Amino acid sequence: MRDPGLAPSPSADPATVRVTFEYVAWATVWLLVGTTAGLIASIKLHWPEFLPYAWLSFGRVRPAHTNLVLFGWASLVLVGLSLYVVARTSRVPLWSPRLARVALALWNLTLAGGLATLLAGVNRGPQEYREWVWPLAVMLAAAVLIVGYVAYRTVAARTLPEVYVSNWYILGGFCYLPILYVTSYLPFYQGGIGNTVVQGYYMHNAMGMWFTQLALGISYHGIPRLLGRPVYSYALGVLGFWTNLLFYPLIGAHHFIFSPVAWWLQTTAILFSVGMMVPVWAGTGNLLLTFKGAGSAVRRSYALPFFVVGLIGYGLGSTQGTIEAFRTANIYLHFTNFTVGHSHATMYGFIVFIAWGAVYGLIPRLTGREPSPLAVGVHFWLALVGILTYVIAISAAGILQGLAWVAGQSFIASVIAAEPMWLWRTVGGLLMAGGHVVFAVNVWVMRPQRVVVPAPASDAVGMPA
Amino acid sequence: MSFGGLHTNHRAIVAAAIIVFFVLTLVMAILPALREQAFSASAVATPRDSEAERGRHVFMREGCGFCHTQFVRDLPMDRPYGRPSRPGDYVGENPPMLGTQRTGPDLADVGTRQPSEAWHLIHLYDPRAVVPQSVMPAYRWYFVAKDQAGPGDVVAPVPTGSAPSGKVIVAGPEARALVRYLLSLKQPKVSP
Repeated sequence: MRDPGLAPSPSADPATVRVTFEYVAWATVWLLVGTTAGLIASIKLHWPEFLPYAWLSFGRVRPAHTNLVLFGWASLVLVGLSLYVVARTSRVPLWSPRLARVALALWNLTLAGGLATLLAGVNRGPQEYREWVWPLAVMLAAAVLIVGYVAYRTVAARTLPEVYVSNWYILGGFCYLPILYVTSYLPFYQGGIGNTVVQGYYMHNAMGMWFTQLALGISYHGIPRLLGRPVYSYALGVLGFWTNLLFYPLIGAHHFIFSPVAWWLQTTAILFSVGMMVPVWAGTGNLLLTFKGAGSAVRRSYALPFFVVGLIGYGLGSTQGTIEAFRTANIYLHFTNFTVGHSHATMYGFIVFIAWGAVYGLIPRLTGREPSPLAVGVHFWLALVGILTYVIAISAAGILQGLAWVAGQSFIASVIAAEPMWLWRTVGGLLMAGGHVVFAVNVWVMRPQRVVVPAPASDAVGMPA
Repeated sequence: MSFGGLHTNHRAIVAAAIIVFFVLTLVMAILPALREQAFSASAVATPRDSEAERGRHVFMREGCGFCHTQFVRDLPMDRPYGRPSRPGDYVGENPPMLGTQRTGPDLADVGTRQPSEAWHLIHLYDPRAVVPQSVMPAYRWYFVAKDQAGPGDVVAPVPTGSAPSGKVIVAGPEARALVRYLLSLKQPKVSP
């Protein structure tokens, strides 16, 4: 099926544009805050006396960093772009931009509360990505449900019979996250190791059933749109949707190999970590093949290179995750910084690059304002060289740690071996942070012009996009 | 191309996604978690007193578990940290802090390995006073520098150079509770 977004659509009505941009702009604010927290944490590993304040100690800025970049930056930018994609591919204006705005306000309030409480040391212990206290979790879940409902109603109001594949992924993500989130916070089955089972399920699926869903949904619209041609295979896109749904939720326990978690659960997780290669390479291959013969378009575009990096990051980063799940590899790599490298290779190298490609590719078409191609280029290269430096350095640190442990050296030998690499990690992080500042400027340049809306949004139907 | 009519029915797509994901959540997370929860304690651990329990909250507040595991695997490299962890070791732990990173050493049995209260107090006040290459944060905000210790004060016997000159370092209630918690981390013995 041809991407309906390739045809003119009424979805570029001012209210849809405005709310999409507001999500992207707030996401960018949280990107800058989250990056700062990450940099502080990184510097502390080779300079422990840096900023020796309780509110900024390593154990508090680390969850502030992870939660803000995941639920602040990455989630908000993907949700904002998704709102535009569902409207555009359904060829209607967004259903209730006002409600989407309510969700954004609630979401921002949650993030501000999360930042303050985590830095104050109010948390639920080191349960990754669900550290903040339950009232904040309730607020976030409500925000997701509200904005998910807006997306659903928009697709329901579509003027074409088909639900374009982008919307399968996007609506899927909005269905999965509330289930995942509620499951991870309800206490009834989380005594003892029960908690660990849920932890593995939660932190794994947050990646595969939320971020991946929205990023792929956006890609299935953005890439054909920017290339001006249909996606290589519509069927592969649908296959990726179903196999992702069937395989991904089975993998969570691979974060606790050799743990007291039931052995069958660990083995199932390893097995389906291999199965996960089906949706991963269906998605990567399908979207990369859409570029076949379009090399010159990539060279001319400032948005498409971000997509290309993101897709390669998806394929390679996910394959790396599969390999890490094998018991033999796990002996050398588990508990080491290699895991940190993997999470950045995927979240940043895949999700974030896709989001940037979509922001640069779609937002100028909405607001009529383009950033300077030079500034986008500077952002691209800072981010790419930065993440490569980061991932190579921290993965090397992980390998050195693992080798020191396997060799039976005293623990501190692994710290001494990793420390020079931690410095290089900060260098990579600084380059990434520089890229983020340039990105923030570019977002500002792309802001919508203030226009007097001449008529209610519903009258916009039929206007050329 | 047709996919059984699904591709024109947004309700069916959403319903299928919710049902499949919920069933897999049940099978892969909720039911296994219920089963694990039902495991009884493998042995009776030393009951934690209220001060050690407060210390566990300080441990959580400071995010110690992001760098220190409490999870010993049945692997040669984990032997220095104790015997392999069992499900029963985590009964009543809310949350259990197995952890995913070992930027610092495992603490599952640290109370046995390092039973000195004085060592822990110095280490929390100034980690590099006892382990020069350590990158652990110094938790100075849980200590007070006094001219001289009062009655009932617990003094951290830090080496000269770590503390402001002429001062003694007195552990605050959180530091004492945290050390109490660390000393309580002893793996219960299991019969072979």
